[in-house]
Amino acid sequence: MDVGQLKERIAEIEAGIAANVCDIDTADALRGLETAVLGKQGTLGSLVKTIKDYPPDQRGHVGKVVNDAKGRVKAVIEQRHRELEAADASADAADAEAFDPTLPGIREPMGSVHPVTAVQWEIERIFERLGFTVEAGPEMETEYNNFEALNIPATHPARDMQDTFWLKSGMVLRTHTSPVQHRAMLKFGAPLRVIVPGRCFRYETIDASHDNTFHQVEGLMIDRGISIPNLIAMAKTLLYEVMQHEVEIRVRPGYFPFVEPGIEIDMNCQICGGAGCPTCKQSGWLEILPAGMVHPNVLEAGKIDTEEFTGFAFGLGLTRLAMMKYGIGDIRVLNSGDLRPIVSPDRLGGPVIAGQVGSGTKR
Amino acid sequence: MLVSLKWINDYVELPADLDPRAFGERFTLTTAEVEGVSQVSMGARGLIVARIESVVALPDAPHLRHVVLNLGNGKTVGTVTAAPALHVGSNVVYAPEGASVAAFGKITTAKVAGKTSAGMILPGDALGAAMAAQEAIFPPGVAEPGEELPPELFDDWLVEVDNKSLTHRPDLWGHYGIAREIAAIYGLALKPYPVVALEELSDEVLPEVPISIADPDACPRYCGIVLEGVPAECAPLWMQLRLGRVGMRPISALVDLTNYIMADLGQPMHAFDAAKVDRIEVDWAKKGERFKTLDGVERQLSPTTLMILRGGDSIALAGVMGGLDTEVADSTTTLLLESANFDPAAIRRTASCLNLRTDASARFEKSLDPAHARLAIQRFVYLGRDIYPSLSNRTRLSDCFPKPLEEITVAVNPHHVARTIGREVSLEEASQRLSPLGLELSEANAHWHVRVPSFRATGDVSIEADVIEEIARCVGYDNIEPEMPRVSMRRFELNAPRELERHALEYFTTAHRYNEIQNYLWYDSTWLSQLGIDPGSCVELKNPAAEGLHRLRRSLMPEMLAAVARNRFYFPAFALVELGSVFEPHEPDDLEYRRIGLISARRGKRAEDDLYKRLKGAIEGWVFKRFGRGVDFVRAGADAARPWEHSSRTAQLLVEDTPVGRVSAINRTLRRAMDEHLAAWSVVWAELELDKCGSISARTEGLGIIPAYPLVEMDFSFVVPASTRYADVVQELGSFNNSLLKEVRYVGSYEGESVGTGRRSLTVRTILGDDTRTLVEEDGLGFRGEFEGYLTKCGYELRK
Repeated sequence: MDVGQLKERIAEIEAGIAANVCDIDTADALRGLETAVLGKQGTLGSLVKTIKDYPPDQRGHVGKVVNDAKGRVKAVIEQRHRELEAADASADAADAEAFDPTLPGIREPMGSVHPVTAVQWEIERIFERLGFTVEAGPEMETEYNNFEALNIPATHPARDMQDTFWLKSGMVLRTHTSPVQHRAMLKFGAPLRVIVPGRCFRYETIDASHDNTFHQVEGLMIDRGISIPNLIAMAKTLLYEVMQHEVEIRVRPGYFPFVEPGIEIDMNCQICGGAGCPTCKQSGWLEILPAGMVHPNVLEAGKIDTEEFTGFAFGLGLTRLAMMKYGIGDIRVLNSGDLRPIVSPDRLGGPVIAGQVGSGTKR
Repeated sequence: MLVSLKWINDYVELPADLDPRAFGERFTLTTAEVEGVSQVSMGARGLIVARIESVVALPDAPHLRHVVLNLGNGKTVGTVTAAPALHVGSNVVYAPEGASVAAFGKITTAKVAGKTSAGMILPGDALGAAMAAQEAIFPPGVAEPGEELPPELFDDWLVEVDNKSLTHRPDLWGHYGIAREIAAIYGLALKPYPVVALEELSDEVLPEVPISIADPDACPRYCGIVLEGVPAECAPLWMQLRLGRVGMRPISALVDLTNYIMADLGQPMHAFDAAKVDRIEVDWAKKGERFKTLDGVERQLSPTTLMILRGGDSIALAGVMGGLDTEVADSTTTLLLESANFDPAAIRRTASCLNLRTDASARFEKSLDPAHARLAIQRFVYLGRDIYPSLSNRTRLSDCFPKPLEEITVAVNPHHVARTIGREVSLEEASQRLSPLGLELSEANAHWHVRVPSFRATGDVSIEADVIEEIARCVGYDNIEPEMPRVSMRRFELNAPRELERHALEYFTTAHRYNEIQNYLWYDSTWLSQLGIDPGSCVELKNPAAEGLHRLRRSLMPEMLAAVARNRFYFPAFALVELGSVFEPHEPDDLEYRRIGLISARRGKRAEDDLYKRLKGAIEGWVFKRFGRGVDFVRAGADAARPWEHSSRTAQLLVEDTPVGRVSAINRTLRRAMDEHLAAWSVVWAELELDKCGSISARTEGLGIIPAYPLVEMDFSFVVPASTRYADVVQELGSFNNSLLKEVRYVGSYEGESVGTGRRSLTVRTILGDDTRTLVEEDGLGFRGEFEGYLTKCGYELRK
C-alpha cells in the first residue's frame, strides 16, 4: 500500500476507535482495545513492521505518520481510561452512601447459662489458676457425711443452725457443700487443694432473700504448715479476683463446728463503701466468707494425719454472689424457670436498641 | 442477746470515756458478732413514786380509769389513765405536771373524759421496758410515795449480740460472763460475783430437800432449797427496768428474780410452791404420759422426755417449763427453789419434740456449767434479802451432784500455736492473754498445760485447737499478717463426671440456643395432677417445704414443662436446658443420678419435625464433640414410667449400643393440660443420662487428608416409600462397593406433591477419586451406571 492508502487506513482505524471508545466501560476492555490496536499484532502496531517495506526516502515520513497515529490513539485511550477511573470513583462514592456498617450483624443463635452457673464457672477458673481441683458430691447425703463427719454430732446445737430436709430413708438433702470436704479427703488424702461448688438445701421459709435451695462453693486446703495467715491471704486473693479490685476485709471470730478456730471474713460493703446502708444492715461490712482452720476431728474423720498436716476451709455463697453481680433483688427468680429475670434480653429477643434494659444491669 | 452496759458496769468498771459503738466493734472482732448498739435515753425528768389510793372506772370511757394517787407528804392528785391492772396500795411511776419524758414531752394537767387529769402514770414502755402498751410498771412496796426517781435510772446502752455466734459459748449467756470477756479484752479487773457464802445456807440443823436422780447422765446436778418469807411483791425498780430493757417483761419479784439471775449468770431456775412440793425426783416420763405445763397446755410426753417429779407425779418438764399444778401463786410465801444442770441433748430433744422453746431450754441446750447450779441459789438469796425482809431458808441447800464435771487440762504444743497463728507466742504472752479468761497456763515437758475453768469446760474448750483459737482471737485476727501458703505440688485425678456436665452445659448454651434454668428438686403434686401424670414411686421427703412437695423428682421433665408453660407468655419460641439430680427409690439405698434435660418449644402446630431435627442435631453435635462418636436414634414405644412421652414419636438414644437417653415430643392432650394455648404449639424434649454418658469411651476425631488427585462429586436423587427409614437406606448404601467411591453424604430429603404422597425423595452426594491418577469422563459414567443400577436393585426409584 502506498503512503496515501496507508494514511487512509490509519484514518479509518482512528475513526473506528473514536466511535467505539466511549462504549468501552471497563478497564479490562480498554486494555483489550489497546492491545488490539497498539500491540505488535494490533491494527496500528502491526503497521510498524511494514515501514521497512517502503523506499528508504519515504521511510522517515511513513514512520512519523504511524507513530503520530499511535500517539493520538494512545492519548484517546488514556483519556477514556481517566474517564473510567472517574466513573469508578463516583460509583464508589455513591456506594459509600449506601454502605451502613452500623446496621445490626447477623448473629448465630446463642443460649445462656444460669446466673449462678456463670458465677460458679468464674470461681472455678480462679481456683484452677491457683492449683485447686474442682470436686462435686451428691445432693442426697448420708446423715454421717453431712453432720458427724463434720464434727456435728446428733445432739449438737449447731444442727439447729441448719434446718434440714430429711428423706424418709433417713438420708438428708445436704445442708452445705461441706460433706464433700470429707469425701475429698478420703479420695485424695493430703496435701489437698479443692473447691466444691454445688447446690444445698435448707428447710427454711422462702422470701425475697432466702430460698430453701441455693448454691455454695466450699474451699479446702490441706498441707504442711497451713496457717491462719495463709487463710487470710487466700481470702484476700479470692475477693480480689471476684471483685477485680483490692477489697478491704475484716476478720473476726465465727463459730462453725467443723473449724477451730472459726472465723468470719467480712468485706467492705460494695454498695455503700462502708458508710452503712440497708444491704450491709448499716454496719459497713458484708459477711462474705465464713472460714476457719479445719477441726482436728474433721481431719481425723478424713484420715488425715493431724500431726503432719493442717488445713483451712471456707464457704462462699454462690447464689448471693450471683445476686450481687447481676443486681438480682429477689432470690426467688433464680429457681422460678422464668427466663426473663435470668437471661439478658439481648440474648433472648435479639439486641435491645432502645428503652430500659432490664436484666444484665443493676436494678 | 441484749446486753445492758449498766448491768455490765456492776462487774467491770468500764472506762468513763468508753464509746459504746466502738466497744461493739471491738467485741465483734474479738468475741462474737454485735448486731447493734443503741442508746436507751428516756429523757425522764422529775418522776416520782406514787401510791394508788383509789381506782374508779369511768362509765363513758370503758378503757379509762380515774385514779387518786398519794404523792407523799399528805399530797394527793387525781389522774385519768388507760393503764390496766391497777390495784389500791400499789406503787406506780408518776410524772407530775412539769415533769417530762421523751415519749410524751412535758407532762401537763388536762381534762380527760370530763375529769381533771393531773400528770400521768407512766407506762413501762415509755421507760424503756419491753412491756405491752399502757401497762404500768410497779415499784416495790418499800418505795415511799414522793420518792424522786433520778433520770439516770432510766438511761442505759444496749448491745445486741447475735445469738448464733454464742452457740458454743454457754458462759456468754449471762452478763457476768460477758463482763469477764470485756475485762479480758480491755485489761480491766473483773469483780467477784456477789453471792451469800455457802456456809450461810449449810446449817446442818436444817433438814435437806430429798432429791433423787434416776439418770445422772441426764441430770448431772440438782440443787434445791426451801425458802420462806417470800410473799407476793414487786422487784426493785432498777431490776425491773434492767429486765425490761433486755427484753424480759417484769412480772413479780419472784419471777423477776429468777429471770434476772438467768440473764445475769445464765442459769435458769424454777420455783415450786413448797406447800405442794417437798421433795424432788428426776426421771424420764412414762410412756403415753400427758402433762399440763404452766401455760395451761396439756402435752403428750414420751419416754425420752426428762421430768421433775414429786412422789412419782410429774411436776415440771425438766429444763423447759414448770407444771401448772405446782406453780407459785400470789398467796405462796414458801417455795422450793430448783437450780439444776441437765444434759443439753435431752433438753434439746424435749424442746424440739414438744415444739416448746423457752429461755431456759435455749440455755440448757448450750451445755451449762454445773457449778452455776449451786451458785445461782447463793445469788438468789443474796439478791432476795434486799427484796424480802424476812427471807430465810427452811432447809439446807441440798446438792445432789452424782456426776461431777471432770476437770480438763489441755496439753498445748507451742509449736502448733506458732504453726497456726503464723508467729511464735511465748508462754508469758499466752498466759497474759488467757488468764483473764480463766484459763491458767503452766509449762512442762516442752508443752503448755492449760487448766480449763468449769464455765468453759462443757464442750467449749477441750482440745488444743480450742486453746489456739482463744490465743488467736485475743491476739486479734486483724493483727495477723496475711501470707500466701507454700504448697506441695501434686496431681489430682480429673473428676470426669463433673467435667462432662460442664462441657455439656457449655455446649448446649453456646453452640445452640438453649437457656439454662434451675428448678427445685421436688415435683409439685398440683402441677402433676393438672397434667394428669402419675409420677410412680419416688424418693420422699419426711418434711417437705410445703404440702404436695414431698416427692423428689425422678425426671427433670415435669418441672421443665412447668417452665415451658411459664415462658410461653413471653416468647414465641425458646429452648431450655437444665442440669440436675434425679432420684430413684431403691433397696437398700435410694439412687441419685445426674441428668441433662433439653426442651425446645415454638408457637405453631407444625414445627415439631423441624424442632425435632434441630434437637437431634444438637445432641449429635455434642456427642460428636465430646466423644468423637455418632448417636443412634432408635424408635421406641412410650415408657409408662414417663407419662410425658409421646406414644408414637419417641426414640431411644444409643451411643455405641449404650442407651444414654430419650427424645420425644409432647402430645396435644398434655400440651392442652399444661395450658390451653400450648395446644397450638410444638414441644420436643430430650433427657440425657449423664452417668451413662460417662461410660462412653471417647475417640479422637479423625482429620481429613489432602487427596493426591482431584475428587469428583456426583449427586443422586431417588424416591423411597415414606415407611422406609433413612437408617435402612444408609445400611443398604453401606453395602455398595466401588473402588472409586470415597464417601457418600446426605444432602437432603423432600416430601411433597412432586414425589407423590406416602413417598420421600432423598438426595445423596457421592465423592469419587483414585489415589494414583486423575479420573477421566469414562470413570464417572461407569460409576453412575453402576450406582444407579444398585439403587434400582434396592427398589429405589431414580429421579431425573
